[in-house]
Amino acid sequence: MTHAETVMPPTPDPILIEDLMLAYGAQRVLDGLSLRVPAGSITALLGGNGAGKSTTLSALLGFTRTQSGTIAVCGIDPAADPDGARRRIAYLPENVALYEHLTAVENADYLLALSGERQGRGAITDALAAAGLQERAWDQRLGGFSKGMRQKVAIAVALLRRVPVLLLDEPTSGLDPRATADFNGLLVQVRARGTAVLMVTHDLLSAADVADRIAFLEAGRVAHEVKASGPDRFDVRALHARFQTGSARIPA
Amino acid sequence: MRLFRHEFRLLLRQRLTVGALALLALLTVAALATGMAEIARQRGAIAAIPAAQAEDIGAVAEYVDRTKDAGSAAYYSFHPTWDAPAPLAFAALGMRDVAPFIVRVRALGIEAQIYDGDMFNPELALPGRFDFAFVLVFLAPLFVIALFHDLVSAEREAGRQRMLEALPNGGRALWRRRTVLRLLLLWAVIGVPFAVAAAMAGVAFGQVLIVVGLVAAYLFFWVALAALVGRLRWSSVANAATLAAAWLVLVLIVPTLGNVAINGAIPVNQGAEIAMAQREAVNGAWDVPRDATMRRFYARHPIWADSAPLGPAFHYKWYLAFHQNGDESVADAVRAYRDGLDRRDAGGRALSRLLPPIGVQALLMRMARTDLRAQLAYQDRIRAYHERLRSFYYGYLFRDRPFGKADFDRAPRFADTPGG
Repeated sequence: MTHAETVMPPTPDPILIEDLMLAYGAQRVLDGLSLRVPAGSITALLGGNGAGKSTTLSALLGFTRTQSGTIAVCGIDPAADPDGARRRIAYLPENVALYEHLTAVENADYLLALSGERQGRGAITDALAAAGLQERAWDQRLGGFSKGMRQKVAIAVALLRRVPVLLLDEPTSGLDPRATADFNGLLVQVRARGTAVLMVTHDLLSAADVADRIAFLEAGRVAHEVKASGPDRFDVRALHARFQTGSARIPA
Repeated sequence: MRLFRHEFRLLLRQRLTVGALALLALLTVAALATGMAEIARQRGAIAAIPAAQAEDIGAVAEYVDRTKDAGSAAYYSFHPTWDAPAPLAFAALGMRDVAPFIVRVRALGIEAQIYDGDMFNPELALPGRFDFAFVLVFLAPLFVIALFHDLVSAEREAGRQRMLEALPNGGRALWRRRTVLRLLLLWAVIGVPFAVAAAMAGVAFGQVLIVVGLVAAYLFFWVALAALVGRLRWSSVANAATLAAAWLVLVLIVPTLGNVAINGAIPVNQGAEIAMAQREAVNGAWDVPRDATMRRFYARHPIWADSAPLGPAFHYKWYLAFHQNGDESVADAVRAYRDGLDRRDAGGRALSRLLPPIGVQALLMRMARTDLRAQLAYQDRIRAYHERLRSFYYGYLFRDRPFGKADFDRAPRFADTPGG
């Protein structure tokens, strides 16, 4: 199964990357990377260290300028108009670090303000509830929050922002299985709202659980992309073998 | 505005920041109070002069009225001069802390009376008195460092920077907002108490504006330095250490070395040496033939040359003449001393154009008229007054006119017309 065989977007995709190149001296970080994430879908980007996963997110956020190729967030080149692209993106880093001396509601309110959004307390608490944060935590300072609880606050902000693109960097690392399942449930909600979700992860099981597509990144390019199909969605055993060995082909 | 409100709330939740701002406000108020108390004390001392003078003169006048002796009047009567503080003096006490602001002079030799103290470049000296200028120049940069050293690095170390910069109003706009907010708060905790104190002291509005503008500019210099260090993307600890070192160099080490270098390059004798030389000349005059003393005096002051010759008895005109001869014997040393001070002052001003801490202190002291130039201007006013005093008494002594109680009322009085 190849990229060309599996991905044929019917409509303009919120995330569009074509033949992206980036090199630092002789070292090629992105080497002809192509990737599309349609609206209302979740794509998991897997790969070893140094494969270019984080660089891809950086390029989408406008932090990294690539040397050639096409990259667009809802049709906007993040390098040319980073603010325009960021207005359409919600981004959750691996460790969602919020302000410990603000409450969950205040953190959400602050992040919304930085996003140019204005929401009342009611809307914020609704979003926190939708994100699965228990009511008693809404007005607590974040000092004692777990990673999962912090993620819920950040997801609530993403829900309120109604952005078309959600970028996630290792969202389930450090989460226990129950929290991972909760988080994946949230992602399904986000997808249902038509959001294009790109998730960089090492967590194959979580990716297989929630993603519509899984792309394997090797040496700065998508070596393989697999689409969920059937009741089992993915052949996890085959994916695992692929992920562990880094072999060029997925077993049939 | 909404974003500023959010940043303000965020800032208020940071205990260290709130504590730092409160401490700076407290130090500013304390410094202003100290300065105002000192200036009030000096004003009180100056205000008490007329009553004390009337008492002094009253005692001398009775004796003089009996003897009709102008020489005794010249010898025994002290005449006060004073350097009234400018309205802004409370903010930068400068040399008012170390140099006399009241000098009582007699019509005798002036140099020994003036050089009881020494002059130096106070803006180049180590901190000195706790006043508003001290808080602004020496302490405020430490608070800038405390609030700005980790403006970005703290977010990076907390793992928030990337997420914040990924937001549409994050990134540079966010750092700018935070910078402006912190700068405004620092400016307010220094500027508002100053403005209140200045209004109470009757400082001209224009001067208040200049000082609060100066505060903003000086704080901005340190904020810019902190931003420059922040761009190196070092850790918060490294940023703080670098900025603290910059503070040490710019505020303490360079000014001290500059002072040493200027003093080394422009050697100036101690004022006390002039006073000593003048006193030795005066004391030596007792052993000099009186005719020689008078010839020397008349040669320089022919206006009195037609005075009656000295008789065998003591006469104050001889006494005052050798005092004036004593002054004139150290005139070259006085000129050299004054020239040296002026050159040192010019050196200090040149350095102040290069170093903001010295520049701010020098400018505040200039506006407050508490610097070396103001002190030298006061000396000039004393000399001018002393000249009038001498002429007044010489008119009686060299013409042998009787001097009564009423003549005291005609004696020149010092009128303070601050300048310099």
